[in-house]
Amino acid sequence: MGKITGFLEFDRKVESYAPVEERVKSYHEFTVPMNEPELKDQGARCMDCGIPFCHSGCPLGNLIPDFNDAVYRGKWEKAAKILHSTNNFPEFTGRLCPAPCEEACVLGINEDPVTIENIEKNIVETAFSKGWIVAEPPENRTDKKVAVVGSGPAGLAAAQQLNRAGHTVTVFERDEKPGGLLRYGIPDFKMEKNVIDRRLKVLEEEGIEFKCGINVGKDITGQELQNDFDAVVLSGGATIRRNLPIEGADLKGVVQAMDFLPQNNRRVDGVKSFENEILATGKDVIVIGGGDTGSDCIGTSIRHGATSVSNFEIMPMSTTERPEGQPWPFWPMRLKTSTSHKEGAERFFSISTKKFLGDKDGNLTGLITSQVEWIKTPGQRPQLKEVP
Amino acid sequence: MKVVNYLGPKVNPSIAKTRNSTPYVGLISPPPHHDIYSIEDLSQLIYDLKSANREARINVKLVSEVGVGTVAAGVSKAKADVVLISGFDGGTGASPLTSLKHAGLPWELGIAEAQQTLVMNDLRNRIVLECDGQLKTGRDVAVACLLGAEEFGFATAPLVASGCIMMRVCHLNTCPVGIATQNPELRKKFAGKPEHVVNYMYFVAQELREIMAQLGFRTINEMVGQVQKLDRKKAIDHYKSAGIDLTPILYQVDVPAGTKFYNTQQQTHDIDKSIEFEIIAKANPSLFRKEKLTLEFPIKNTDRAVGAIISNEISKVYGAQGLPINTLKLNFTGSAGQSFGAFATRGLTMTVNGNTNDYLGKGLSGAKLVIKVPEKCTIVPEDNVITGNVTLYGATAGRAYINGRAGERFCVRNSGAKAVVEGIGDHGCEYMTGGVAVILGEVGRNFGAGMSGGIAFVYDQNGTFKKKCNNTDLNLLEVTEDNDIKELKDLIESHYNSTLSPLAQRILEKWEDCLPKFVKVLPEEYKQALLRMEREKLETI
Repeated sequence: MGKITGFLEFDRKVESYAPVEERVKSYHEFTVPMNEPELKDQGARCMDCGIPFCHSGCPLGNLIPDFNDAVYRGKWEKAAKILHSTNNFPEFTGRLCPAPCEEACVLGINEDPVTIENIEKNIVETAFSKGWIVAEPPENRTDKKVAVVGSGPAGLAAAQQLNRAGHTVTVFERDEKPGGLLRYGIPDFKMEKNVIDRRLKVLEEEGIEFKCGINVGKDITGQELQNDFDAVVLSGGATIRRNLPIEGADLKGVVQAMDFLPQNNRRVDGVKSFENEILATGKDVIVIGGGDTGSDCIGTSIRHGATSVSNFEIMPMSTTERPEGQPWPFWPMRLKTSTSHKEGAERFFSISTKKFLGDKDGNLTGLITSQVEWIKTPGQRPQLKEVP
Repeated sequence: MKVVNYLGPKVNPSIAKTRNSTPYVGLISPPPHHDIYSIEDLSQLIYDLKSANREARINVKLVSEVGVGTVAAGVSKAKADVVLISGFDGGTGASPLTSLKHAGLPWELGIAEAQQTLVMNDLRNRIVLECDGQLKTGRDVAVACLLGAEEFGFATAPLVASGCIMMRVCHLNTCPVGIATQNPELRKKFAGKPEHVVNYMYFVAQELREIMAQLGFRTINEMVGQVQKLDRKKAIDHYKSAGIDLTPILYQVDVPAGTKFYNTQQQTHDIDKSIEFEIIAKANPSLFRKEKLTLEFPIKNTDRAVGAIISNEISKVYGAQGLPINTLKLNFTGSAGQSFGAFATRGLTMTVNGNTNDYLGKGLSGAKLVIKVPEKCTIVPEDNVITGNVTLYGATAGRAYINGRAGERFCVRNSGAKAVVEGIGDHGCEYMTGGVAVILGEVGRNFGAGMSGGIAFVYDQNGTFKKKCNNTDLNLLEVTEDNDIKELKDLIESHYNSTLSPLAQRILEKWEDCLPKFVKVLPEEYKQALLRMEREKLETI
């Protein structure tokens, strides 16, 4: 949809970012909003595909060409309605989703794809600012009670849908505030927490009850839940993390991302002191793992004021182009450079950590690494091999 | 029939050139075949086409539907080389949904019916049976073959193999992978290679071979029509399929031993009996040395499609360009058979002293045709019919001067020929897209239906013409512009010079009095197209 010849007339344009030296001073989001004419042009690039592959790229099945068309025509309220018909929280996905829709975009075969995710974010932000997103409580209640365990995006979406169906929903959350990884995993510079709060307000107005600080299984048993509720949704997160199974992993200074990031988010939220303060200030930081979590740790370390930040990735450096053998419209393993990477991290690829070294007091002093390569044999999984 | 709408804006100059039509004038589709209203008409068209290119196999495409077997039998008797049974799936990305869905029936039904009818009537050996309609796999081919087909058409799947992503914008000129577009920037994006299609076809062939091996067939011919090898899946137990009886499709006809189930012989077209080979023998100096030559021949109404074979020979040497105008003059005396001057090309001037039958100048491609009343004849030309129906159907270039009235459907789908006639029957200038028709006498009803291009000048003596028109998008104007007056007068003068028409003489003698009685018929779409071309001309200057 959009404009029939839009993709021939307009180039892809996404939000720009505040300069690095500015943005690392705070934990605020640092995207620079686009104006409405620019966004309409981006909506106009959508092509009215006979087979919209973005539909299959998006795990939610978002009706992408429809809302792009609405944006192109300036019908923002209609766009918000279309967007919310498949997506409970576009303000989360519009900021955080890796956008497989854009990798599946037909325009992406030989051009830059449509800026679907940015359009999504702008639709929902416009809708919030215009006051179109209001509580939609059910007209009738079913007298059924549902317990939702865990208040991450899955739990919140399940709670909203069940509540709108008329059931009485209670959400249990072990942390002090709802949101799960949205609140305690994603750094504020990627998504400020008022984004969650304004949505939670709507959910509460719709009649959903939140019970925080309750760890189901400890504070309340599963049996009790089953007794008190007609149905239980289990949408909890995994808090058991993978350790590096190598010598020295228990040294002081070897920190798990999911200890580091939640603590910082709490700090940004106003918590003053912690039992076991983890700060990168003035330290040389090595982040093991080159994915999104690694990026979050890099951005956080830089904002702490780390002396240096290095990033280790066990996979070889990929290309920025779509690699051969990973054809459109599938998700490609291409090199992604996050905003945090650009804030001053040195990246190392094909590197595996063999051993953490420590002094006699158990403090981390260094690590031993090895260059690796991946041996590919047709029909088998690639094998990791150390390069001597 | 699938609809492919070439809307005005897409018909840019290069498409118009390819299709021999006028730029920016829409081509209404599907094209109703106004030259085929009966199986005899079809038989004539097959003969015409075979004359126009003797090496070509003439393939008649039929929509799979109830009764297609009877039609296929007729097509076989009409001496087509191939009959194609087309299933209801598929269609181009320009097809509207109404044409994509439920236009016809699945090919399985059509192929089964056609095969059974053809075999029962011992007509199958004369014709090749082809199948298409979303064939994609070797299994599809195997099923079509067992039901009776020996040739198979593919389009969607090879297109997808070469990069089509089914945008369904073939008519909008914006195909983002550069397949269905004339935009040079978009065409650069086409990444398909012949090897992609070849590879796909290898897969189809491989799967077909595997199925053939399982069933014990060595060749396609062995396999054609062996329906006993097909069975229904018993596992499908669904209330919707419970009432379906497939036995009529899987029915093996009971025929005498030796009856052929596949094509074994060529059709006898009897082209070699045409008088044109005699003409060609005498016209050699013109054909090969461009010498000017005038030849005289008698003609009778069993001489059909005269002009097509010689035009074929001319285009083999000179291509679409043909010979210089008036190089070879052929004068015939008598009553010419159907399709006189069919596809006749530039350089030919064909005159008939007598009359002609239906389809005069079908697909005329640059020749000049003159049909005139013999000198000794005393009848009044403008009161008598001198040529049959469907004159100049689908003509693309050339001239025709007709010294008398023509039958119905005059100049239907004409896209470039200029003609003068002294009266016509119903449905004149229907679906015309280009060229000029000058009608010096009465016009039948339903004039100009679907006419999107070209100009007609009608001598409206009694002021009744307006009532005969059937098109609100026609502009009926007085002839006032200088170039219109000049063109009209030139054509009538040429008509007089060619035929000595008394009517033309009278009009020319009293030109100032007669001119106001002419009505210029200008379709609105054509008017806009002319304005646009004028604009573009100015822009390029």
